[in-house]
Amino acid sequence: MAVGGSTGTELSAGVPAELLVEAAELPAGIGPYRLAWRRLSRNHGALFFGVIFLVIVVLCLLAPVYSSDIAHTGPNDNHITEQIKIGGKLTYVVSTIGLPIGPTWHSKFFLGADPNGRDIAVRLLYGGRNSLEVGAVATLITIVLAAIIGIAAGYFRGWTDGLLMRALDVIWAFPVYILGVALGVSLAISGIGPLRGNSLMVPAFVIGVVFVPYVAKPIRGQVLGLREREFIDAARVQGLSHVRIMASEIFPNIASTIIVFIPLMLANSILLEAGLSYLGAGVQPPNPSWGTMIADGVANIPAAIHLVLVPGIMLVIAVLSINVFGDGVRDALDPRAKVRIAR
Amino acid sequence: MRKHPRSALTLALAAVSVIVLAACGSSSKSSSSSPATGKASGSITITYGTAPDTLDPDAFQTTQAGEADQPVYIPPYTYAETNGIAGTQIIPGLATALPQISADGKTYTFFFRKGLRYSTGQPVHTSDFLTAVERSIKIPWPLGSAFLVPLIVGAKDYESGKSNTVSGITTNDATGQVTIHLTAPYGAFENALAFQAYSPLPKGTPMKDLSSNPPPGVGPYKFSSVVPNVSYTEVKNPYWTPIPGIQSGYANQIVAKISSNTTASALSVLNNSNDVFDWADTIPPSLLPQIQSQASDRYQKLKLNSTYYFFMNQKAKPFSSMLAREAVIVGLNRPALARLGSGFFTPGCFFLPPLMVGHPPSSCPFGDPNSTGDIAKAKMLVQQSGMAGQPVTVWGEERSPRRQFVDYYTSFLNQIGFKATEKIIADATYFPTVGNLKLNAQTGFDDYNQDFPNPIDFYGLLLAGDAITPTGNLNHSQVNDPVINSKANQLGTLFKLPTSSLGSASSQWTTLDEYTAAKAYEAVFGYLEAPEFVSNRIDQSALVFQPINGYWYNTFKLK
Amino acid sequence: MARFVIRRLLAAVGVLIAISVVTFLIFQAIPNGDPAQRIGGRTANAAELALIRHEWGFDKPIYVQYIKTMGKILSGTVVSYSQNLNVLDQIRQGLPATLSLAIGAGIIWLGLGILFGVITAVRAGRFADRALTVLAFIGVSSPPFFLGALAIYYVGYKANIIPLGGYSSLSHPWSWFKHLIAPWLVLSVLFIGIYSRVLRSTILDIQHEDYVRTARAKGLSERQVMVRHILRNSLIPIISLWGLDFAQVIGGGAILTESVFNLHGVGQFAAQSIQRLDVPPVLVITMLTAFFVVLLGALVDVIYAFLDPRIRLSG
Repeated sequence: MAVGGSTGTELSAGVPAELLVEAAELPAGIGPYRLAWRRLSRNHGALFFGVIFLVIVVLCLLAPVYSSDIAHTGPNDNHITEQIKIGGKLTYVVSTIGLPIGPTWHSKFFLGADPNGRDIAVRLLYGGRNSLEVGAVATLITIVLAAIIGIAAGYFRGWTDGLLMRALDVIWAFPVYILGVALGVSLAISGIGPLRGNSLMVPAFVIGVVFVPYVAKPIRGQVLGLREREFIDAARVQGLSHVRIMASEIFPNIASTIIVFIPLMLANSILLEAGLSYLGAGVQPPNPSWGTMIADGVANIPAAIHLVLVPGIMLVIAVLSINVFGDGVRDALDPRAKVRIAR
Repeated sequence: MRKHPRSALTLALAAVSVIVLAACGSSSKSSSSSPATGKASGSITITYGTAPDTLDPDAFQTTQAGEADQPVYIPPYTYAETNGIAGTQIIPGLATALPQISADGKTYTFFFRKGLRYSTGQPVHTSDFLTAVERSIKIPWPLGSAFLVPLIVGAKDYESGKSNTVSGITTNDATGQVTIHLTAPYGAFENALAFQAYSPLPKGTPMKDLSSNPPPGVGPYKFSSVVPNVSYTEVKNPYWTPIPGIQSGYANQIVAKISSNTTASALSVLNNSNDVFDWADTIPPSLLPQIQSQASDRYQKLKLNSTYYFFMNQKAKPFSSMLAREAVIVGLNRPALARLGSGFFTPGCFFLPPLMVGHPPSSCPFGDPNSTGDIAKAKMLVQQSGMAGQPVTVWGEERSPRRQFVDYYTSFLNQIGFKATEKIIADATYFPTVGNLKLNAQTGFDDYNQDFPNPIDFYGLLLAGDAITPTGNLNHSQVNDPVINSKANQLGTLFKLPTSSLGSASSQWTTLDEYTAAKAYEAVFGYLEAPEFVSNRIDQSALVFQPINGYWYNTFKLK
Repeated sequence: MARFVIRRLLAAVGVLIAISVVTFLIFQAIPNGDPAQRIGGRTANAAELALIRHEWGFDKPIYVQYIKTMGKILSGTVVSYSQNLNVLDQIRQGLPATLSLAIGAGIIWLGLGILFGVITAVRAGRFADRALTVLAFIGVSSPPFFLGALAIYYVGYKANIIPLGGYSSLSHPWSWFKHLIAPWLVLSVLFIGIYSRVLRSTILDIQHEDYVRTARAKGLSERQVMVRHILRNSLIPIISLWGLDFAQVIGGGAILTESVFNLHGVGQFAAQSIQRLDVPPVLVITMLTAFFVVLLGALVDVIYAFLDPRIRLSG
């Protein structure tokens, strides 16, 4: 656990010492994955949370169905001055002084409305889609970049390594939120290249880049160790190209590290997106995300606490389930876990 | 408008007592701490959700700063310390009387009072007025550059460095005389002379924004400590020489605290640990019922001269079509927007706000602004205009409820047949961004708060064709209508009119504003209102709120 | 070794310079980001913009602007765009709040992190372990501004136990404590979660090392083994983590906690400055934080190099 240290949380701590030390010791070969799967299937807690996460994903994917067949409104449709019937009584969705209605537990405004008279339940599901999409794309960016940089730096060593590591140091030493918000705010004005200012890809890109060092550094450390092993020497003697060696000899050996990082990065990316949204640089309005919904709700405290609670609890459950499941995956893949199971 | 309207009689009495007390003050040559009025004691705390942009009188742009500077820097002219529209009347401040205006309206002459001192004890020289004008140009003070630099003879040359003084202003330290030459007559020039930026400052005051250490002024209060973005304190100015019409102040100390948590601020005023809630902040809706039940005697709504609208760019599709603009105006759900503003909103359709001279009393050309909007008709108009399905980028700024307005507006534009996408940017960059003509922004949020009570303030900057500038443009709709251009120009130059009623020009402004509404140039949705909310320690019968700079601090009085 | 250390420190300086360049570019090079327009505000005309550009040096090439700004930062005379205030004074103003937050939270999260880590390790697999593990997971999964908002609403607004935010100076200790207790806990939750988990796994690993077995074999009590041999060694990664995290918080890294509790600290100052696209304060705070992180990062590198000669030779 705790791979990646304090990544994506309030602060960017360094790569934990623990990881640097043990990263180089994951096993090679085919067997481990089957073994890992067997271990994971015995870890009921991790599986339970894995299922919860799957349920959340499916619910969010079904957002359009909920929107059109149950709530009969879109995520950005305003119903400020409309009235709805609750228990036979007509009630304003938003009162004349701007107070939105709380949970009705009916098909319309199941979880209440926001000050714009938008259906919170619909926005929660669409927001989940956006949060998960940002998280997934950011994780993909992080993992791909980190794998390329980490492998190249560890394999070539010398000036390539020096240059890449210094570049990572620059990102790493940046205060995560300041870098994220700075990029987010400046890109929101006019975007850059193909990135439009209000695209979901802006926060995804920002988050993806910010986290690269946390993954690339341990991968590099592991590759540095692998490089000294005989089978790499053997490949080199056979005259295989560098790219070939990196792709077919080194990559399979770090794949388990990458797998361990995926859930962690996903959880942290979703958290960072929420933080950036709170500071005004995440998913751009009127599109919802869990982060922007909480941020809007915080601004409305104590008017309507459901605006904070609904997306907040959802976010915590989602991130928690990824974290617990991810921890299970790590335990399953980490050979040291054997020690713990033996106890 | 206010809950405690004062009769003409009490007003007259108040004026008399001020004059009498002023006489006492000057005869005793009081320069020590002895206050000029009877019941003066204690410390009053006012809470602000937003910090003043700067406390420097030659640099500020926000009402929070204007309010803080109002009792510290008295300009040659000032506004009567009275509630409501009467509070927009110009009275002499540091000048002895209203200015003499030449027959062509281009020369203003007035005299400074004798024996004025800064809060440091230094005497005020008449030439210090020129120092202030020059400083406001050099810093530069944006409002001055927009209005006054082109207007005062020699100011442009001074701004560009061609000349080392403003040739159109002459001052005489011996006689106290000031003469100002204008390039063209300007009806609101007396109002300009009531800007705090034109309050005299000692020669040698640095020509840069002194926000954390504002220069000494001539007023009943002075700054005693400033912690930028956190707090500032004003205390009585020991060298204040009372001036008729200007209250010498009651509280010994006024502390302003800045906290973005308006809920905490409102609660602190409710339980009387702080005294005044900044009117420019929104009271959180959830607290309103509690305030109305527990403190209805010290809470009320204030009207402001502030128009909120969506600009619609006439130079770009789809709003180049009048039918498309009409569709927006017909379909807007103004009560919905009022709710987004926590109810502190009067729905309306005319560009001039209700307290402004010339605001039309007639009914709106495109339906009742208090209705929830005619969506069906709006859809039909969009179809007729041939602009259905046109992509529209809607611009807005981050802060609440402005972003919520734009959230609604975007959803509404999509509903009536456009293809709208929203673009929200940081507050600090919003107006510079949409004010850049290169962007040619199609539509977005817009608002304007009066700088002085004359319609030329709105028309000259926001609707006149010659106000369209490549950068810093405020005519976001790019309205360039010959009727408006010539009429506004003509009415704007009328001078020697009473500043609070504008006399004969008033009805002509009304006609012009009705014309603007009928042409569907701007999607006006309403006028801002503000909460007046004070602790039970404050004597509300003494309190004066004026829609230009807010509360007069010198009327904060403890019971 | 000395050569490695010098090289490493030079690289650290290089990183700092690179960070300042990147921050400068992010704000200065973006379209519509003309600082003159932001300073000039809503009504600025062309002449006025020209004046501002000249006054602030925005008419100079970007590298000249960068060098001048850096010169002003190093000499301590740099002022913000938005209010023309000395940036270092502003940061100094935010320091009491930030230091109060960082030191208090730092002590809490280190203390509780170690306590929970030891408990979960010693009781591994039992109820206490499971309960604390669940809490740790919830802690690392909760955004601080969400926890902060809940604290303000339930403990502040509803129960009226803590104030609704703000900072109160240390000259009124009780008020200071009441204003800070919730921010301390909210900021700590996450670190407690991480530290206790790291410590737990380190202890479990070390428990099976040979020297620990030897110690046990010598007949030392379980408590002595834990304190003298296991804990002492497993605290090393915790302390180095703590150093890095603490450096970040001091440098204004607790931006969310400071903002939600409205503490007016360095982090909130950074957040506000970013919203105004005010380059100088953002630049200074970024560099301040980066300075601590880079310094400690270099230190960690040197220590690891000392431990593992392979890295030194190849790096």
